[in-house]
Amino acid sequence: MSNIDRRTLVKGSLAAMMASAAFSRSAFAQSSEPILLGVSGPLTGPNAQYGTQWKQGFDLALDAILADGGINGRKLAYSFEDSQSDPRQSVAIAQKFVSDPRIVLELGDFSSPASMAASPIYQRAGLVQFGFTNSHPDFTKGGDFMWSTSVSQADEQPLLAAYAVKKLGLKKLAVLHLNTDWGRTSRDYFVNAAKEYGAEIAVTEGYIAEERDFRSTLVRVRDSNPDGLILISYYSDGALIARQARQVGLKQVICAASSVYSPKFLELGGEAVEDVHVGTRYFPEDPRPEVQKFIAGFKKKYNGLEPDAFNAYAYDAMNMAAAVVKIGGTDRRAVRDAFMKVKDVPSVIFGAATFDVASRRVKGAMNAELVVRKGQFALWDGKPT
Amino acid sequence: MAEQHTMLSLRGLTRRFGGLTAVDAIDLDLAKGELISIIGPNGAGKTTLFNLVTGLDRPDAGHVSFEGQDITGFSPERLAGQGIARTFQLGRVFGNLSVMDNVLIGAHTRLRAVKPAVPVIGPLLELGLALLRPSSVRDEEERLREEVKAILARFGERLLPRIDQPAYSLSYANRRRVEIARALALGPRLLLLDEPTAGMNPTETAEMQGLVAELKAEGLTILLIEHKLEMVMRLSDRVIVMDEGKKIAEGPGEQVRGDPKVIEAYLGHGLSGAAEQESAA
Amino acid sequence: MMSSWLDYTINGLIVGNVYALVAVGLALIFGVSRLINFAQGSIYLVGAYIGWVAVVQLHTPLPLTIIIVAAASALVGLIIERFGLRPLQNSVRIAPLLATIGISFVLDQLVMLTFSPNPRALPSQLPDVRFQVGGGTIGPLDLLIAGVGLTSALLLFVFLRYSKLGWAVRATAQDRDAAMQMGVDVNRVNQAVFGIAAALGGVSGLLVGMYYNQIDTAMSLQATLKGVVAEVVGGAGNVPGAVIGSLLLGLVESYGVAVFGTSYRNLFAFLLLVVVLVLRPNGLFASARQGPPEPLTGTFIAPSRPVRIPRWALLVAAAIFAILPFFPVSFYVLQTMINAWLLGMLALSLTLVAGTIGQVSLGHAALLAIGAYTSALLSLTFSAPVGVAIIGGGLMSAALGTALISPSFRLRGHYVSIATLAIGEIVSLVILNWESVTRGPIGISGIPPLSLFGYELVSPTSIYWFSFIVMVVLALLQARLLGSHLGRSFRAIRDDDIAARAYGLSLNRYKSLAFIFGGFAAGISGGIAAHLYSYINHETFNTQQSILALTVVILGGLGNVVGAIVGAVALVGLPEVFRVAAEYRILIYGIVLLLLVRFRPQGLLGTM
Ligand SMILES: Nc1ncnc2c1ncn2[C@@H]1O[C@H](COP(=O)(O)OP(=O)(O)OP(=O)(O)O)[C@@H](O)[C@H]1O
Ligand SMILES: [Mg+2]
Repeated sequence: MSNIDRRTLVKGSLAAMMASAAFSRSAFAQSSEPILLGVSGPLTGPNAQYGTQWKQGFDLALDAILADGGINGRKLAYSFEDSQSDPRQSVAIAQKFVSDPRIVLELGDFSSPASMAASPIYQRAGLVQFGFTNSHPDFTKGGDFMWSTSVSQADEQPLLAAYAVKKLGLKKLAVLHLNTDWGRTSRDYFVNAAKEYGAEIAVTEGYIAEERDFRSTLVRVRDSNPDGLILISYYSDGALIARQARQVGLKQVICAASSVYSPKFLELGGEAVEDVHVGTRYFPEDPRPEVQKFIAGFKKKYNGLEPDAFNAYAYDAMNMAAAVVKIGGTDRRAVRDAFMKVKDVPSVIFGAATFDVASRRVKGAMNAELVVRKGQFALWDGKPT
Repeated sequence: MAEQHTMLSLRGLTRRFGGLTAVDAIDLDLAKGELISIIGPNGAGKTTLFNLVTGLDRPDAGHVSFEGQDITGFSPERLAGQGIARTFQLGRVFGNLSVMDNVLIGAHTRLRAVKPAVPVIGPLLELGLALLRPSSVRDEEERLREEVKAILARFGERLLPRIDQPAYSLSYANRRRVEIARALALGPRLLLLDEPTAGMNPTETAEMQGLVAELKAEGLTILLIEHKLEMVMRLSDRVIVMDEGKKIAEGPGEQVRGDPKVIEAYLGHGLSGAAEQESAA
Repeated sequence: MMSSWLDYTINGLIVGNVYALVAVGLALIFGVSRLINFAQGSIYLVGAYIGWVAVVQLHTPLPLTIIIVAAASALVGLIIERFGLRPLQNSVRIAPLLATIGISFVLDQLVMLTFSPNPRALPSQLPDVRFQVGGGTIGPLDLLIAGVGLTSALLLFVFLRYSKLGWAVRATAQDRDAAMQMGVDVNRVNQAVFGIAAALGGVSGLLVGMYYNQIDTAMSLQATLKGVVAEVVGGAGNVPGAVIGSLLLGLVESYGVAVFGTSYRNLFAFLLLVVVLVLRPNGLFASARQGPPEPLTGTFIAPSRPVRIPRWALLVAAAIFAILPFFPVSFYVLQTMINAWLLGMLALSLTLVAGTIGQVSLGHAALLAIGAYTSALLSLTFSAPVGVAIIGGGLMSAALGTALISPSFRLRGHYVSIATLAIGEIVSLVILNWESVTRGPIGISGIPPLSLFGYELVSPTSIYWFSFIVMVVLALLQARLLGSHLGRSFRAIRDDDIAARAYGLSLNRYKSLAFIFGGFAAGISGGIAAHLYSYINHETFNTQQSILALTVVILGGLGNVVGAIVGAVALVGLPEVFRVAAEYRILIYGIVLLLLVRFRPQGLLGTM
């Protein structure tokens, strides 16, 4: 006991020194100091919405972890630093985290430029960078301290392609994708898988994240005569495309990647997203206990708000972090090694998550084939639309 | 006159702004060492004519030739290189530059050591030389600085004590002087002065008149726009009167002054303040 | 196929319609104040959210919604004019421009804090009937937007032509000083214009939000960008021109998508802008040969006496920073200072082109990108040593940057800013689309870390020293340059380019030299950043960087070498200090910026 007290004291004064040097907040020691995770993500700037969604997911997971008595009797907490998803700020935050001895693990950043710019710092300092939304194929190649539970697009896109081609029977596809590292990688995996399943790709169109007007793009799509539209989009742009597709008179089947899975997609898309097919990792009626616990807990905590994919990623990530820290303790290297040891962590996205040590990613994402019916996501009943 | 070497000649020079013909078929011959004044009511087109001669504006018709070469449509920087210097009616000193730097800009076309005349890579050499500053460059700069001081000394104690002050901090009259000093630093073959005494009091005007007379005596060829007729009469070899873009009279000062067309032009348009005083005097 | 072209045309006109709503407001303000109001997009954002409150929470009918939004937005416009811009009337010309940028920061952040950054649905209050036109359909909102655009342009025309206040507005637009002498109350005119433009901006946000059934806080910058392009294409300050410019922009984008594909869309928008600026700097609808649009005697830079810092003080400061790593400072502090030194190099570059020679660039991040990509590719593809690759990045940035910007050397004032903004966007879009070289959106990863003569510089301490020394060397070189004949030539061109030309200074030559020198410094900064980050893509060096750099330069004092470095340290440091304020930090930053522009427009150390 006295041993722990002394350690706390030393750390406390160190932290106070850091605070004065580094203007750090939340650095003052509490009576029983929690195990601290660092989060680097956007709270302001163009991607601010995703940081907010992370927080919701983290907080929900933490509630349950703390109710269960924390990590080996200690609390778990996180310190969220706003990076605006800007590499300049994420590298500074990285230095801040690596030199703060209380941080045992880092989560984030959101965008690839911001995450991967910070990777060398985490790698050299030996602090795990747990980039749970970083699907960039090179992210985990940054070193053995880079781990990710972001569903590998190499996994996800073939599932979507199978849904579109094998199940829905689409033969000629128009692919619209966000022209980011994520969208571009996803498109390539999707196109390969769809071709393998025997479909023809009529046209692919990449658009920038700020785009709102898709009418002309959709004329191009129409002229290529597809029998289905594939959206590799986030929910806001996905909703815009679906609406405008209906406006320009496209009646083809629309099939979207799991990233549109959000109540906002329904809200923003309105009637236009009716009958849109979505391959997701979970769905509200999924009987798995981890899913039901997540959805019920989320609605309870956030006044009936439906969770979305980004909430789920963050929720899973916090649970994974807890599981890892439980094994690895507070030693950073041991935490890294714990990523190789954790087995079957209950996960909304993966069911039971275990890392593939070679790729430092988790394989075997769950797959649910949904369709929007009467303004709600529902399990697809196998009937054509 | 006829045997004299013609420095500048204008033929049918015309410039229109929309419906307005600001300069209308002007012909003019200026001999080496001659001083011609251009007078005329406000808006007559005098400044526009200067702009056409110095390349700041392009004529819609007509030709300008300088030392026998057709220079119509040449860029102002090229014309500066040929030795044409001017001052501006409204005063265009470089506000944030010191008096010294303002006048040094006047000598820009005379820089040699730091601006080697090498095609294509010349600008890059200039950048390199500006950074390295070998002794040739330093010597040239030093020489020009001495020259500038000599030019400033022509204005007595008006500018020398303020040599390091930024131009915006100077009085209006001093800014006009800096402009003239800058023009002189170019080592001009032809000097165009646009109302050099505008806004000056009688003492200052007299000083300026003295300076222009000196320059003329030194053999400089000068084109002068001026409203103060007293000064025009004293200095000019010939006077040209413009109205509504056209040349309405030309000749020795006294002859032009009595020309009924000129009086009519001034009266018809309401006399410009200065001209009124002067002609009444 | 014919019918597709009809569809592309209709779609172009529809989206052009949407741009027109913003562009008209911008044109009106530019016409009177010669100011590009970068806050117009933020008013549009505010209007959209006020509309959301009215529609979703108060359930107001559409006409009432429009009135509420117009009135509330007009109020915001009046407040901006009264407290944000009027106090700046007699300061540097760049000050109001910067103030509008600061105001837009503040407004966007306020909206984000009040409504959260999540997008919201803004349901249309019009019946959902659709008319078949060509292959697609148009709805009542399309017609309403067109109606509002055309009606407001028409009403403005009538107002400007026939009302007394309108006459005053036109008189002020033509010649501010003359109008004042004739007894026009210029403040009242400005108020009227800002009120009208803001009402229009707010209503357009509402309608566009309904049109897409979606509003979010990121819509502001995009609206401003497209509005500015449309407005300048039509002829800055020309209200009917703005409408036509918007429609043209919509068409060019739509046809661009038709021929080359969606990812080229904005490339065409910005190319259109650059082409128009180069060929017809006063816009498509200006008469052919006119005098310069800026007043003949005005200069862009306010006279000011720079603060002279004694040499010993600079030496002491440099010495303290040089030995900083020996003090017990955290790596976080060092990393923050590294960022400051990298931004300092960019600021040195920008303070030379914007401050010393007066070309206020809003696209300076493009030079970083060129340097970074060149250095990354040289070291990855040709295995060049990192030190050599970085210098290669600097040289490429100097050469390519100067070549790209050279067509706009003949532009003046705000037009230079718009052109550089467009060129910056073009560079970023080319990087996105030129996949065979730049790897497109995937970006370049695995860039080797900094190294010098075979020694890897990976510890924050060594990177700190490396970047500090490089920055100091660049600063000393720049100081030496400013002390040469080039320094005075650059500043002469800035103060009065016409007089400078009359004395033999070729604008092309000296602007090129300034961009070559500045491009080199920026390229070096980008090159170092590439090796520091190990991964870059087209988003790494974005418009926000350009705006930040300009803020640094103005904070430090235009053209002021020491000021650029002081500004960089301050603007990297402040947001870090404000980390305590979490979500509020950008708001605080915006307010600090506004106060600075208000109370010290010449910058901390003054214009050189
Ligand atoms: N850039 C321009 N665009 C349109 N009109 C112009 C321009 N410059 C000059 N003008 C017009 O051309 C006419 C001649 O002007 P200019 O300045 O040459 O007259 P001026 O003889 O110098 O008059 P002042 O004695 O007042 O200086 C005026 O009516 C003027 O308004
Ligand atoms: Mg004149």
